[in-house]
Amino acid sequence: MKCSTLSSMFRLPMFVVLVLCAALSQICAAKVGATAPDFTGTASNGKTFRLADYRGKFVVLEWHNNGCPYVRKQYNSGNMERLQKQWTGQGVVWFTILSSAPGKQGYMTASEENEYLAKMQASPTAALLDPTGEIGHLYDAKTSPHMFVINPQGVVIYDGAIDDKPTTELSDVPGATNYVSLALEQAMAGKQVETAATRPYGCSVKYSDSTH
Amino acid sequence: MLLGALIAPGAGTPIPHGTVELIAEKQGIIAAGHTFDVGLRFQLEKGWHVYWINPGDSGEPARVEWHLPSGLSAGAIEWPTPRRLDSGSIVDYGYEEAVLLIVPMRADGSLAGQSKAQIGADVRVLVCSQEMCIPSKVELSLALPIQSQPALADARKTEMFANARKSLPRPPPGNWKFSVADGNESFVLAATLGHDSAVHPITQAIFFPLAESQIENAAPQKLETSAAGFRLTLRKSDRLLKPIERLRGVLVLSSSPLGNQGYLIDVPVSKAGGARHAVQ
Repeated sequence: MKCSTLSSMFRLPMFVVLVLCAALSQICAAKVGATAPDFTGTASNGKTFRLADYRGKFVVLEWHNNGCPYVRKQYNSGNMERLQKQWTGQGVVWFTILSSAPGKQGYMTASEENEYLAKMQASPTAALLDPTGEIGHLYDAKTSPHMFVINPQGVVIYDGAIDDKPTTELSDVPGATNYVSLALEQAMAGKQVETAATRPYGCSVKYSDSTH
Repeated sequence: MLLGALIAPGAGTPIPHGTVELIAEKQGIIAAGHTFDVGLRFQLEKGWHVYWINPGDSGEPARVEWHLPSGLSAGAIEWPTPRRLDSGSIVDYGYEEAVLLIVPMRADGSLAGQSKAQIGADVRVLVCSQEMCIPSKVELSLALPIQSQPALADARKTEMFANARKSLPRPPPGNWKFSVADGNESFVLAATLGHDSAVHPITQAIFFPLAESQIENAAPQKLETSAAGFRLTLRKSDRLLKPIERLRGVLVLSSSPLGNQGYLIDVPVSKAGGARHAVQ
């Protein structure tokens, strides 16, 4: 059972579900090998996207905060944009998710995010605006970036860092092993994903519940 | 700025929201087989922090690249016991306000012919608040005379190093016994402290894992005390996909007269069953 299922089954407000989820984390957690919790998000382009609509496709989730130096490393080097282009070009659905609360670093209005995407020439399937942190908490996203890969059966097959170089330095991008690409390549070849979970590295996600 | 008021001029090289200084405990090196301590002293504005060797959920520890004359070699950073930096669903491990990271140095005979040794340190450090993180890189240096007699330390540096050593985790007393049981969702760290438990009952215990992705950093650590010791329940990380053989880290125990003390522990993990046994 998933958080969203809980929410719809019992008609509970999402904040109640999130508290339940914290207590019953095993039920709701986005865990490698388990079904990815379903969510519905509103994108910066105004459209609504529901994860469950993309069964049959690989889905990448990318937690984003454009003020974070670890995110800037990936975007200013062109790496994240390149990955988005490469994988969406192969039919992968890519959601960039912004869970920063209003007033916190990385919070963007729809038009600000659209401008940012255009300026960076970023091409995710959609940038989902999650200022309440609902999707972020559902996946227990810790950092920006924090990456998840979901297979066509809707199962989480990767949870963790973007690559194996946990630094802010652009010069570390070219030599890094990219765990997202590796997971997608291995899963598409019908293989087991070798590195299925790593410590996500980066800035903490700037949720509304953080203490300051 | 506030910084100017808090930190004396000349006390270090600026980093975002603070300073860092390369200092030696004693103002001189005795060549040939001598070991001595240097340190990186970070001073930070209120609300900013740097990280432990395992930074927890976010962040990154300071890294240093040494530039040393031949005849000098640097050991690893001795990391003081960290604090939990809690921002709701995310918990990091690090240091606020000020920290001295001690690094042991070793001199060999080949230094003898020279009058001084130039020690260079390229330091990369991430300084964060709850709101943002700022990376920086600074180049520090320190010249130490090479001499035949032990150098006297100034009182201020002696005190800084003594305080830093007090904050290092130490080995637990030999009569304490630890075990870790591997349950489905948690590790249960059990300790018997013998006589010590009765004399100074434990009021709080916090475990800091040395390895990443073993325990859920943000989960509460449930403490149950008994006459003989205590048990501490540590929720496993969702990203721990394989069994682990050992749990290594710093265990900070609080007891009312003694205050907080960090102990470095390295405990083999046994399969559940043992855990259930201990519950009853």
